[in-house]
Amino acid sequence: MNEQTPVRRRRTVSANQIAAERMNDEKTQGQYQPYKDAAWGFINHWYPALFSEELPEQKVEGIQIAGVPILLRRAAGKLYAIKDQCVHRGVRLSSKPMCFNDTSIACWYHGFNYDLETGMLNNIVANPDSTLIGKTGVTTYPVQEVAGMIFVFVREDDFPLEDVPPLHHDLPVRFPENNERFPHPLWPDTPSLLDEGAVAMGMHRTGQSNWRIACENGFDNAHILVHKDNTIVHALDWVLPLGILPASDDAITLIEDEDGPKGQMQWLFTDRWKPVLENEALGLKIENLKGRFYRTSVVLPGVLMVENWPEEHCVQYEWYVPITDDMYEYWEVLVRVCKTDEDRKKFKYRFDTVYVPLCLEGFNDCDLYAREAMEEFYADGTGWDDEQLVETDISPVVWRKLASRWNRGIAKPGKGVTNATKTGSIRMRRLAEGKAPGYFVEKIENVNKR
Amino acid sequence: MLTSAEVSEVTLTFADGAEHVLAVEAGQNVLDAGLAAGLPLLHQCRSGSCSSCLARLTSGHAEHRAGASSSLTPSEKAEGLRLLCMTEAQGGCSFSLGYDSKVGETKPVVAQSFVNAVERVAADVVRLELELAEGSWLTFRPGQFINVTVPGTDVVRSYSMATTPADLPRIELFIRLLPGGVMSDWLENRAAVDDVVTIEGPFGAFFLKDKVKAPHVMIAGGTGLAPMLSMIDTIRATPGKKPPVLLSFGCQTPEGLFALDRLELRGRWLPGLETRLSVDRGACESARTGNPVAAITADDTLPPDAVAYLCGPPGMIAAARAHLEALGLSSENIFAEHFTASGA
Repeated sequence: MNEQTPVRRRRTVSANQIAAERMNDEKTQGQYQPYKDAAWGFINHWYPALFSEELPEQKVEGIQIAGVPILLRRAAGKLYAIKDQCVHRGVRLSSKPMCFNDTSIACWYHGFNYDLETGMLNNIVANPDSTLIGKTGVTTYPVQEVAGMIFVFVREDDFPLEDVPPLHHDLPVRFPENNERFPHPLWPDTPSLLDEGAVAMGMHRTGQSNWRIACENGFDNAHILVHKDNTIVHALDWVLPLGILPASDDAITLIEDEDGPKGQMQWLFTDRWKPVLENEALGLKIENLKGRFYRTSVVLPGVLMVENWPEEHCVQYEWYVPITDDMYEYWEVLVRVCKTDEDRKKFKYRFDTVYVPLCLEGFNDCDLYAREAMEEFYADGTGWDDEQLVETDISPVVWRKLASRWNRGIAKPGKGVTNATKTGSIRMRRLAEGKAPGYFVEKIENVNKR
Repeated sequence: MLTSAEVSEVTLTFADGAEHVLAVEAGQNVLDAGLAAGLPLLHQCRSGSCSSCLARLTSGHAEHRAGASSSLTPSEKAEGLRLLCMTEAQGGCSFSLGYDSKVGETKPVVAQSFVNAVERVAADVVRLELELAEGSWLTFRPGQFINVTVPGTDVVRSYSMATTPADLPRIELFIRLLPGGVMSDWLENRAAVDDVVTIEGPFGAFFLKDKVKAPHVMIAGGTGLAPMLSMIDTIRATPGKKPPVLLSFGCQTPEGLFALDRLELRGRWLPGLETRLSVDRGACESARTGNPVAAITADDTLPPDAVAYLCGPPGMIAAARAHLEALGLSSENIFAEHFTASGA
């Protein structure tokens, strides 16, 4: 009896205390607990993986979404996506692609060869009679290519393929079919990625903040203050308000269609929202002349649509694709329907000369640094408890509740994958070499020289 | 038709004495034959390397496939050890296995835990939150229960977990207070945060069946709600399309209802969840008057493959079973756990 070991408490960090009187008190926060749990993203959703031009015939690329390493390959005109982690010893196949035919890929380390269609281990280079062959394999991911973009359905290993929803369930609402429900008298029908003749042009890059912080920025109608001094706003004399306040209880409409996306539409530039153009006490007044009407909506898994932006007949889509819990891939995509080659050329010219430098970079760079400015407050959980919300935050709070209800799964914290361990020596060496952690696999470039 | 020269009779004996006889074809390895027969044989690489499928040859002849290499050393082989994934039988032979036949099932263990919270949540219900102590662990399937030793006594009581295995090391129990009950006395008069509580589990064959997409009906009386909460949270976290869930929760009086805020949140988070509340007596805005069994009616048009989970006092279980069968559910799809109040 004297030998009994003492019973000890687990060494856990106690959760932050929430002050009960705050607007976002424990009860409010509880309504979106699943969203708070989704630091590594929502899983079992369609995400953009690459632009089509980033994956030419025979190219292999490795990326990471929601803590899942994914390999993409285009071979004999067909697209494939499989888990980028050999079952044998966990090596990323994409870091040094080795393909012996158009239907499989081998791990460059010990030669485990996988069928691209099924993910099954179908050979081992130096061990073709192994009894393991045909008995194991890697997860495959459904792929779809539209308008110059490659989408991947990032699923949990045991999410049944027959339950995979169509891509349009994870894309913004479309027009003209929603004209009556969401009228837009100030601009022509918003194009969609899925429209015939739709052309998507854009860019993607890694942002160093949690994907939720990034996502909430886009449809937060007080954030436009960060754009007050942007060149395009003044060069084109746009009336961009200091902020836009909700003016009625139907300022936001939930989108919860059975056979469609789940999200929210904000009725900007109607009497349900009030643009603020002047702050007398601070001596601020917007004196630009040209109306720049737009509307924002967001759908799961975090897809922003800015209609009538940056110009008529154009729409801006954004994705904030979770990579880890502290990085996301920021996608800015402009979509326009181009009926002829001439249209396409014109769109491309305007994209290169105006939209990239002044909008996707100049204007949206401000969003990128604004999100990163919030990251440290939220990274250890402090911000989720201590944020002091205000009227305009109905947008993110409604989104958090909606996302808690309609997400198809909460990604588990990445384990055994790139950048899951923040302090590993390989990560440190890469940092020392000036390579920021990011979305793409680090390729082994020259086999004979380091 | 295979002749006896082509088929060997292989006997596998598990550590708990369970014995299985297999017909292994010439050229087939014993592991494949055993797995095909549904035996719970431990294995991983199936190629002679990982050593998970280690077994000891106790009689007869059986060698590794000719020319195949494995991670077994010559001395281990000489001792009679074999890797079943590489082993072909040469005539009748027997193996013993170092683990028992229930290896796939979770065996109950004793664990220590700390009290995180004791909270009265209804007139006669206390929420007890425990956290497994450093070095202590047990896991369970949603719906199962544990035995709790009332601190300071040697009295043991059984309660179903309201949390899921994913919530471990946190475990939450809903306990009904009984006049003069030993557990009730501890909860009401002595229990405090940081008390140490000995628990043992898991127990019970009442648990959520995996990957059933047919509609689920859950009928809970009083603290019988606890295993339903665990199952609902598990369904919510399961990948793929989720089954619709109809939960009927009833108590004797409105003051007895609890966890309503939690049910409301689950309703927001799980679009397919519908909750009905009933009280036997006493007016209540949110609950109908009557018992939770009668709250399920023919209007719910339950398909014949619907599954039902019942937890409550024996009378409620019997009534619910008869009622659901009358509504067309098949008796093998009705799973029940009944509880009885322990004497003081």
